[in-house]
Amino acid sequence: MTRIITLIVVAAAAVAALVQTLGCSETSSARTLAAQEVYVPPGEHDKYYAFLSGGQSGSVFVVGIPSGRLIREIPVFEPRAAYGYAVHPNDPRRRELEATGGAWGDTHHPAPSETNGVYDGRYLWINDLANGRLARVRLDTFETDRILKIPNLQGAHGIAVVSPNTKYIGVNGEFEQPTDGLATNPAPYTSVVAFVEPESMQVKFEVRVNGNIDIADSSKDGRYFFSTVYNLEQGKDMGGMIQFDRDALAAIDIAAAEKAVADGKAQVRNGVPIIDPEKAEGVLTLIPVPKNPHGVNVTPDGRYAIASGKLSPTVTIVDTKTLKIVAEPEVGLGPLHTTFDNRGNAYTSLFLDSQVVKWNVDKAVAGAPDYIIDRINVHYNIGHLQAAGGETMKPYGDYLLALNKLSKDQYLPVGPDMPEAQELIDISGEKMRMLAAFPTPPEPHDAVFMAASVLKSKVKQVFDVAANAVKAGDESVSRTGPHDVTVNMTMIRSAYTPETIEVREGDRVTFRMTNVETIRDMTHGFALPDHGLNVSLPPGATREITIDTPKPGVYWFYCTNFCSALHLEMRGRLIVQPKDGPVKISDWRAGQNVAGLEVPGVPSTEKSHDREKHHDREQSHDR
Amino acid sequence: MTANNPTIARRRLFLVSAALVAIAAWLPYWGFVMSAPQYPDESLMLLVSHDGIGGDVHEVETLQQYIGVRFPERLPELDWLPLAMVTLAAVLALAAFAGPGPRGRLVRRSSIGLFAVLLIAAAATVQRRLYSVGHDRNHHAPITAVKDFTPRLFGPTKVGNFTVWSFPHVGGVALIAAMTLAVAGARRKELP
Repeated sequence: MTRIITLIVVAAAAVAALVQTLGCSETSSARTLAAQEVYVPPGEHDKYYAFLSGGQSGSVFVVGIPSGRLIREIPVFEPRAAYGYAVHPNDPRRRELEATGGAWGDTHHPAPSETNGVYDGRYLWINDLANGRLARVRLDTFETDRILKIPNLQGAHGIAVVSPNTKYIGVNGEFEQPTDGLATNPAPYTSVVAFVEPESMQVKFEVRVNGNIDIADSSKDGRYFFSTVYNLEQGKDMGGMIQFDRDALAAIDIAAAEKAVADGKAQVRNGVPIIDPEKAEGVLTLIPVPKNPHGVNVTPDGRYAIASGKLSPTVTIVDTKTLKIVAEPEVGLGPLHTTFDNRGNAYTSLFLDSQVVKWNVDKAVAGAPDYIIDRINVHYNIGHLQAAGGETMKPYGDYLLALNKLSKDQYLPVGPDMPEAQELIDISGEKMRMLAAFPTPPEPHDAVFMAASVLKSKVKQVFDVAANAVKAGDESVSRTGPHDVTVNMTMIRSAYTPETIEVREGDRVTFRMTNVETIRDMTHGFALPDHGLNVSLPPGATREITIDTPKPGVYWFYCTNFCSALHLEMRGRLIVQPKDGPVKISDWRAGQNVAGLEVPGVPSTEKSHDREKHHDREQSHDR
Repeated sequence: MTANNPTIARRRLFLVSAALVAIAAWLPYWGFVMSAPQYPDESLMLLVSHDGIGGDVHEVETLQQYIGVRFPERLPELDWLPLAMVTLAAVLALAAFAGPGPRGRLVRRSSIGLFAVLLIAAAATVQRRLYSVGHDRNHHAPITAVKDFTPRLFGPTKVGNFTVWSFPHVGGVALIAAMTLAVAGARRKELP
């Protein structure tokens, strides 16, 4: 008996060991495959730029796909000292931020400009949900270009460009307000969708909607702007917002809205014509969908708009021509957003199931029982998801990014505040395959992929010389008023010109600075201790900023961006003389020494100034 | 007379040679390519032409301070070189029409001799310049690791983290081709 038991135990152990070994080798080969797919060797470039909204970081993260390497952060609504962005209170961009709602933001939806229904690599728009703003990022310089405070709107949530040629950027106002914006108004609160002209960044018109306007997309022909709307109840607390069985997918007829404005049917408030759909027929169609829907996404062929159920386990498929519901298939628990490949398949994020579900659009519309193709677990509580080119008319069908809200056990513990978790999934085959995960600072909501081949050649690596640029040889320090000094400064490896600036206590000093480097990646910083000033100047850049000099002393400004063999020596002094001190301070111009003596024998051409500067520098090394 | 006529062939060779020399006067003569690890796909290039030094002058001027190299501000030889080349082209054209006899041969040989003198003088001047670039330095320059150096007239020279390649540019190549053609022309046998 004992022998039999021993035999059984040994046999069981052997079988277990075998299974374990086989299982392991399978896992290990799958791992190797996945690793190979995301491995981008040093020096080689990724296939895609992914632009991830930075959420409450107020910025945009640029990540290479498939490697998941963070390439750049584009500061938008929040100051970033490392990029010299909006740090000093007198920085013009900082002032603009303060004037439009504050030096912080909550970015959610990156929306690139489109031409013929695909990304053209010109601009990327990003919303600030918190302060009702829309910003534009230039994709040739990866710099925030314009910031717009949208009137009559709170909670700028969903945004989308109007396909196929970026006629407008539609911005959904999620937080309902009294119609006249005044707290004394007892009427039900409403919201608006704002339509912004892409080049001028002006709000052309707004369309009022009685509810909270959530996520947006446009039909591919540009006829309709779709928005999911919850809280048709117009409730003002959570319980009041979930009373009705159905809320709506709103379809705004853009041509009808333009006509209503032209016909004078809109009421202008804060300079923007607002269309009340009750007074302008045909502008707004509300399509009933299960209550409190979330995402809406139009299929690449433009035939259907798909609203995700969120609280309902369904997606509602709406015909974009007839605006009729053609199907409402079940996909899983907590469907939030949908994206697409180039083979007629949709991928829907399931927040509660922590899954991505792949399903076939045509089969679902036809009512075929086998429309669900695959499911894959993600970690955890996925929000947005985005397939490469999924928002365009030509998806690539290779990668999908899952943007998960919680990471729990996925990374080394770093204290109670866990990183945000992205997961990259291969969608090129029938079955989805998990490839890799990468964390980011808080908190990407949505992402878009742009093919490197579209953007790479458009990106500048040296700024064009600005109109207010300081030229080498034209540097100066001059008093422009009793308490005003202007410094025209250049910088190039490894010195600032001038290196010594003398002012008096209480002066307001305007620095106009140009990095006169012409070679890429040669960024110089200008950090001035105790004055709140830290500016970064990429090659060719010009920055202008005015500071106060409240306290006498010697302040060394220095280069914060490591540049050259003499980087540490690249510094200079701001000398603040006491208000009534005995020292006489004279103006200074390049080509003269501090005492105001001409350097003899130097013809005053730009080139010779340049040479002379180098000459001076060499002499100073001699000393 | 046919194209096979040696006189015609010789004349053509000399005329083409003269034309090449004349054109070369307005093309970049010499080039320098500087490569370093931190300039991966953007090697710096300097060109010497009749109107001075061109190319990535701004960047090279920025870099030279570290090793105390003084960029030649003016190249006086450029004042006479284009004129000398145009004169040489005229002489070669004359040689093209020189007769078949001993006097003609003397004209041809003299033109080639003049050509050779010009080439050698130009090469010597450039080499002298290169020597002075590597030697007439500010010896208190910040980077002490670089010792005096003489870049080669042809080929690579290592200077600090840079490799400097010097080579004849299109003008220089045209000159060498012109010399070859003129020599070939002079060696053509007369008709019996």
